[in-house]
Amino acid sequence: MTSADASHRWIRLIEPACTSCMICARECPTWCINIDSHTESIDGLPPGARDRTQHVLDRFAIDWSLCMYCGICIEECPFDALEWVTEPTHPAPTSDALVEEMVPALSTELA
Amino acid sequence: MRWVDWYGDGSLYVLDVALACCAVEFDAASAAAAAPLPTLDERARVAVVIFGTVTDRLAPAVAAIVDGCEQQAGRRPMVISFGACASSGGPYWDSYAVTKGIDQLLAVDVYVPGCPPPPEALSAVLDQVAGRVPS
Amino acid sequence: MDWRAAVEALKADGFDYFDWLGCVDEIGRQDCLRVVLVVRNLSQRAEPRMLSCSLSRADPRIDTISGVFAGASWHEREAAELFGVEFIGGERRRLLLNPEFEGTPLRKDEVLGARTGVNWPGAKEPGEADFTPGRRRLVPPGVPDPAVWGDRDVSQPSPDPIEISESSVGGRARRRRT
Repeated sequence: MTSADASHRWIRLIEPACTSCMICARECPTWCINIDSHTESIDGLPPGARDRTQHVLDRFAIDWSLCMYCGICIEECPFDALEWVTEPTHPAPTSDALVEEMVPALSTELA
Repeated sequence: MRWVDWYGDGSLYVLDVALACCAVEFDAASAAAAAPLPTLDERARVAVVIFGTVTDRLAPAVAAIVDGCEQQAGRRPMVISFGACASSGGPYWDSYAVTKGIDQLLAVDVYVPGCPPPPEALSAVLDQVAGRVPS
Repeated sequence: MDWRAAVEALKADGFDYFDWLGCVDEIGRQDCLRVVLVVRNLSQRAEPRMLSCSLSRADPRIDTISGVFAGASWHEREAAELFGVEFIGGERRRLLLNPEFEGTPLRKDEVLGARTGVNWPGAKEPGEADFTPGRRRLVPPGVPDPAVWGDRDVSQPSPDPIEISESSVGGRARRRRT
């Protein structure tokens, strides 16, 4: 077993599964997860149905300078929207650059 | 805390400021033995790596160490913040006694995320500092 | 029996190995700070002995036992700076904190200032993007309810330590009405 196997792994978002429920952000002991979301009404409902809304994830960011890789977010997510991965997060020249934006639309805007 | 000739050829000297658990990764990554800093070739590079939590009480001492290294080496060392604690305070950012990252006191050139980062991360970042990989 | 005499008696009885001395803030159970000492008898296979002494939270003073066990000095300095206990006759130098540090951080009514000063990402509700001010928010663990400690009504009396400590861990804050 190499030390790469023994060391902690890294954390990624499975965006389609996320419902912006905020549980991971609230359970994170180091407050390293930042989530923005908004509410949209659902179109195409049958006539006479009551209005319904859903949450839309706008931003999911983890600050790797704070994260301690405890995995509580992965365990607490009720929708299995977070997972362990083996691709490491790379060093950066500034601590701001260690904040990873995991919602693709937003990361293209910021790039 | 000791100087290590990382590649054994005088091209990169590394000082480990071992404050907490991240410092164990230094031993795992380093095969080179400690030695006093010699008179340096002008092309030799010098790096100081901060491993572990920086407490408010120790923070001025860490800054003094980096200043001392600059005088001793005759050039400004690359400062590497290794692990979450040295980068931002990490899991202890909210403590009454912890400095939220060594960059509160001195300029950091590279931040390495991890808790702790694996030894490979240290080797990789030192390869970058030494100019041995395209960065 | 006084504290120092009790410790000396234990030492004379063969419990001459000083293990540790610590302090516990019993607020919520009793209104006191409890100083705890553990000593061992290494020559006989005896259970370690624990001595404890309750001190008032408002004026916690107790004799030093550094004359009985020199090693107790470090432990007493730590309890003094983290809980505010005064060890009469003991060493007064700070151990771990800077000389300018103010406060007694390990008391349960001490609030972790850093947590109150930073926006908690978990305070946002699902469907929110900004920290909208003026709206009753969730407080993070470790921070008392603002009505008790932060944005409280200053015409009401200052919160009791027990209200702060219980609110910090999510308990109901009992407010006295004048």
